[in-house]
Amino acid sequence: MNTLNIIDILERTQTGEYCTVKEWDTKRVPRTIREKLKKYSLEKSFDLENPVNTDFELADEFFKAGYEVALELGMLYETGDRIVKVSEEELAAALKYAPSEVIVGVGKDATVIRSRTPSDSYPMKFGAPLGITMSEDIFLRLNEAMAREREVDILTGGSLITIFGRTLLAGSPFETLAGYEQARLHLEARRLAGRPGMGGVGCVSSVTEYGQLGSCGLPGGFPPTDLLLALFPSELKINDQTLHKVVQTINTGGMVFAGSPAMIGGMPGPPEGATLSSIAAALLQYPILQSTVGGGEIYDLRSLSSVNRASLKALSVTHQALSRNTHLITQGIANQVSGPGTENLLLESLVGMATLACSGSAFSQGPRSAGGKLTDHITPLETRFCGEIAHAASSLSPEKVNEIAKEILPRYEEKIKEPDLGRPVQEVYDLKTLRPTKEWEDIYLKVRQEAIQLGIPLDAY
Amino acid sequence: MDRVQSIERLKTAIMDGDEEAADWAARVLETGVDPLEAVKQAVMEPMQEVGVAFENGDLYLPELMMIGDAAKAATQVLMANLPPGEDSVQRWKVVIGTIKGDMHDIGKNVVAALLTAHGFDITDLGSDVSPKQFIETAKIQSAEIIAISTLITTTLPYHREVVRILNDTGERNQRYVIVGGGPVSTAWASEVGADGYGRTAQDAVELCNSLFKGEYTPPLEEPLSFGTL
Repeated sequence: MNTLNIIDILERTQTGEYCTVKEWDTKRVPRTIREKLKKYSLEKSFDLENPVNTDFELADEFFKAGYEVALELGMLYETGDRIVKVSEEELAAALKYAPSEVIVGVGKDATVIRSRTPSDSYPMKFGAPLGITMSEDIFLRLNEAMAREREVDILTGGSLITIFGRTLLAGSPFETLAGYEQARLHLEARRLAGRPGMGGVGCVSSVTEYGQLGSCGLPGGFPPTDLLLALFPSELKINDQTLHKVVQTINTGGMVFAGSPAMIGGMPGPPEGATLSSIAAALLQYPILQSTVGGGEIYDLRSLSSVNRASLKALSVTHQALSRNTHLITQGIANQVSGPGTENLLLESLVGMATLACSGSAFSQGPRSAGGKLTDHITPLETRFCGEIAHAASSLSPEKVNEIAKEILPRYEEKIKEPDLGRPVQEVYDLKTLRPTKEWEDIYLKVRQEAIQLGIPLDAY
Repeated sequence: MDRVQSIERLKTAIMDGDEEAADWAARVLETGVDPLEAVKQAVMEPMQEVGVAFENGDLYLPELMMIGDAAKAATQVLMANLPPGEDSVQRWKVVIGTIKGDMHDIGKNVVAALLTAHGFDITDLGSDVSPKQFIETAKIQSAEIIAISTLITTTLPYHREVVRILNDTGERNQRYVIVGGGPVSTAWASEVGADGYGRTAQDAVELCNSLFKGEYTPPLEEPLSFGTL
């Protein structure tokens, strides 16, 4: 079979069909998605009264349609307005030879992320925290605290907001500086937590390629045994930033970790359309971005979250479709909106993480406390809770998680658009003793107990 | 086709995002309808529903963008035929983009489409736009508003840079600077010296309408704020 390499892809960014971003966004993507939804009778197929999909045949139909979307659209190289397409043979080869298992980290602290199926007894692995910005003075200690949480399998790490006390500016040499410094701090946090071989994700502080080029695969930087990020823009677009990261990762023998959320309400339209886009994006990451781990993510533009009914349904169908029809190692994210110290953050986490875990997602990162909007608005406690649910809910049936979601969702869904952003870590967690305040811990214990009563076997962990 | 029918047909063309909306606008004029009245009935009134329809999930971003383009094309034809001396309903020019280092353009696209639909003349610079590009384009276009969108926290400081350059060049009193996006708040807008903040796309429309209708002069002492983070 003809497998593509990165040089083939770079060449196609120069020779592919010309298409402007506007043509792509307003015509090609929506039209193709609409055609496939119609062809497979998938329009309005989501019953949002049941937020977690229990119909695997429906998921399989979405997979077939998403596969066709991937082949017909390809991805737009927005830097040069060229479409990068792959043939059916090339896509099939990439999916065939994609790894089904990956070791992240080294030695006894390493984590194995494995391709899963829905309700798989092998647990979904969890990386944290999800790049939330952190003040420089607590950056090391807070990341150490995260790494000390045993339910965290991989240290994704927070993002620096300043570097050596100076403003960290995206795309400037400060970012190159920050990339390397972040790697140093991450590796130190893992060592201080007693997990020096723990796997990580690099380099979340750097939105452009500079931090990545300055930190990944270099001596003292993020090692090639970590997952190295190459996120790309929605919908189905790549650019020079993404490709620089991919090339650097390949050059240094690392593992590409790609991803991008499909937007409900955006170019693919309804939740069903976003699901097709998400599946297509997940598939195309393997031939085009040479991924080891790829994303199957969803985000609802209208609620700025992925823990509402439409997003949960789309996430469950996306991951059921991918995990039942491929052996890819896929990632999903439950984008919460409430902040630390609030019960709603834990309720959103419970439903979001359980949905991903039971649907066959191999890996998840989180939490996105307070929607990821505010610096220092994350604590190790909700992080622990997300990890607990990720592991304990993995083998539950979609029917069971659907019941749980139907029970919990009505308690927070009306607040999604106007969430309580909670309080910063300094106010609800003691970073000296690494203990939450009693008030925050009591909320956690209450929701945890409730999760057990609803049937999530947290007491077994 | 009589006057009422022609206005209804134009309204339909705009709401369908029809690329021939400008032709339908010309046909409206042929029936003798006052251009200003046509803009009010066929463009401005239906636009009130567009933002709400998007938020409710009855309309998606591609349609929103097409409606914005159709509304703009029709308005241009109608306004070109305004009798001399009559006030235009054309609102201000807005230069919009996602700031340097940030490739996220979806939130910005929603705002641009809604503003276009509401009669603002939009120049969309796309994503990864430097402070200098914002300012130079605003100058060339004689834009009244610079609208900056951001999702990534480490790109936020460039907001301050836009305001600082305008201050340093003595041009701060020539145009408004408004900001929005995931990590942006009223407090941030105030800190960097921006004139306004909108939490959602609909808030951004309210903000621009308020600046347009209000008797303000840039820079504002405190930013006008719509929606709270």
